[in-house]
Amino acid sequence: MQIDLNNRDPVYIQVIRYFKEQIATGMFEPGQEIPSRRELANKIKINPNTAQRAYKEMEEQGLIYTERNLPSRITKDEQILGAVREELIVEAVESFVTSIRSINVPVDEVLDLVKEQYTKESKE
Amino acid sequence: MIEVKDIKKKFGRKKVLDGVSFTANKGEITCLIGINGVGKTTILNAIMALTPLNKGEILINGEKLNKHSFEKVTFIPDAITMLPQMTIADAMQFMQDFYKTWNQERATELLGFFRLEETEKIASLSKGNTAKINLLLGLALDVDFLLMDEPFSGIDIFSREQIAEVFTSHLVEGRGVIITTHEVHDIEHLIDKVVLLDNGVVLKEFNSEEVRENEGKSVVDVMREVYHK
Repeated sequence: MQIDLNNRDPVYIQVIRYFKEQIATGMFEPGQEIPSRRELANKIKINPNTAQRAYKEMEEQGLIYTERNLPSRITKDEQILGAVREELIVEAVESFVTSIRSINVPVDEVLDLVKEQYTKESKE
Repeated sequence: MIEVKDIKKKFGRKKVLDGVSFTANKGEITCLIGINGVGKTTILNAIMALTPLNKGEILINGEKLNKHSFEKVTFIPDAITMLPQMTIADAMQFMQDFYKTWNQERATELLGFFRLEETEKIASLSKGNTAKINLLLGLALDVDFLLMDEPFSGIDIFSREQIAEVFTSHLVEGRGVIITTHEVHDIEHLIDKVVLLDNGVVLKEFNSEEVRENEGKSVVDVMREVYHK
């Protein structure tokens, strides 16, 4: 587990984002056991209260669940898992669009370039 | 909770603390930051009732400092206080003899955690290992609050990492920690609360995660604003 934390975003949000990325890319599988709050805090050297907050938030969002006295797990709810993937894609596209818009390129030209770049990178 | 209320301290004509107030909660890590000698250690000494104050008061869990306070709070110095000819085992025995809050089981666990040998002489410890022994002797006491004076200062990166690890472990769980430092970069993600001091007063007291959340600022950003005004 390796999270590159920045100093300006709330740490609990960075942790949640990391979990979402792991879920979206299939690194965390549905129902998979995740580290305890304290293990997570220890591994990535964050405040245990912050780890607690991230887990609480993820439980509220239904990303993880905890059955009594058992380790927390990634949800098996397909709808939530799908929404996570969608959310990350939309976010990435939004940030791409924002930055490309500032250069004033026609959208068709952008799309051609995106396709070209995308196939090139997956071949490499 | 430790409540420091408007404390003042003069050394001769020099005002070291000129009305300092802040609180430190159990289960949280509070960091006292000051660029240079701004009385951080004096504050810790005052909480330990080691220095008489000219004004103000300090409450621990709502009680004024008294002879039982040291059963609730302990001070972890930045230099070794044990005799050089002692072994680590001797130092631990010494603590056990003098403090009824000593927890031998936790001490043994800490030895393993820091990978230290009981037979090693205090005199032969590196700076990093000295810091670990100080931490061990303090953490092994069953107290609510730990005061640490510059726990990261002047020691190697691996010792720093190990010490940082202690903060996230069950060894500190549920207790309150106050640490002093002049350098926050390494521990930004570990601390709950920050108290910025200068010239004997508190310039700002804030929760680090709240500042990130509400203002999008890092602890160092806030320090820059406050100190370079």
